[in-house]
Amino acid sequence: MDPQATEVQEEGCYAGLTHDHLNAQGIMDHVRSPQAGAIVLFAGTTRDNFGGKPVKELQYSAYNPLALRTMMSICKEIREKHDLKLIAMVHRLGTVPIGEESILIAVSSAHRQAAWRAGEEALEECKSRVEVWKLEEFGGEEGGVWRANRDGLQGVQVPASAPTNPQDSGDGPFGPVIRPRRPGEMGHGAVVHPKPDQLG
Amino acid sequence: MAPKPPKGHFNVLYFASANSFTSMESESLPAPLPLRKLFETLDKKHPGIKVKILNSCLVTVNLNYVDIPEKDDDRNQVTIEEGDEVAIIPPVSSG
Repeated sequence: MDPQATEVQEEGCYAGLTHDHLNAQGIMDHVRSPQAGAIVLFAGTTRDNFGGKPVKELQYSAYNPLALRTMMSICKEIREKHDLKLIAMVHRLGTVPIGEESILIAVSSAHRQAAWRAGEEALEECKSRVEVWKLEEFGGEEGGVWRANRDGLQGVQVPASAPTNPQDSGDGPFGPVIRPRRPGEMGHGAVVHPKPDQLG
Repeated sequence: MAPKPPKGHFNVLYFASANSFTSMESESLPAPLPLRKLFETLDKKHPGIKVKILNSCLVTVNLNYVDIPEKDDDRNQVTIEEGDEVAIIPPVSSG
């Protein structure tokens, strides 16, 4: 894969990384199909707080060639599993001001049920696997904190410079992602969300 | 992108918390190096990185995830070769 590439496209699948604003219309057009009866679009936006603590802005960085490869492999897996027509995902990099989109995922299928399910699953797989990192800037003298999507509850050592709050739920009331272990896996378990009563 | 490593070297890339800890995006180290020795080699250059950062990271060699052998006599000993691109992958946080 071209290490400078910022997008890859293979049969029915599109994955991209960009420093520009994300374009919801553009990614929907990537998955438009006359055979589809539904398009589901997910937009992840940057939140102004972490556990009640104000966040000034977020910065995303990536291992571009590997992130694109992982995004493409998620697209292929989800497209096949849910018999989708098309699937597309794009992640924004660099500084993303609060309230703007940081990720867009669009899927199209003949019927809506498959599209709903595939959209959710694609996002959860992204959050647990894609080699993109989020730095939350709190402002003031504290500096930023590298966030981790996985839970910190299972005896995983957390770097002092990147504290991971066990209450980091990622977001949303989704269940854990069940999938086979991957080579080299140590600290990256499935994304496990805490119970609502554990949230601040 | 990291510059091509000099002859007899490989590149190691640092992302996120590994980047903050080392204040480097990448550096070149002498090859060949047994993969099993990678973390201790990096810890000598950046004292404390093993416990604070590396133990919760994954490692890729040329974009493929690798298992780090725990013992000298473990099977599948991998050697990092000249020109390889090794990356330290902290827990991810996309979305």
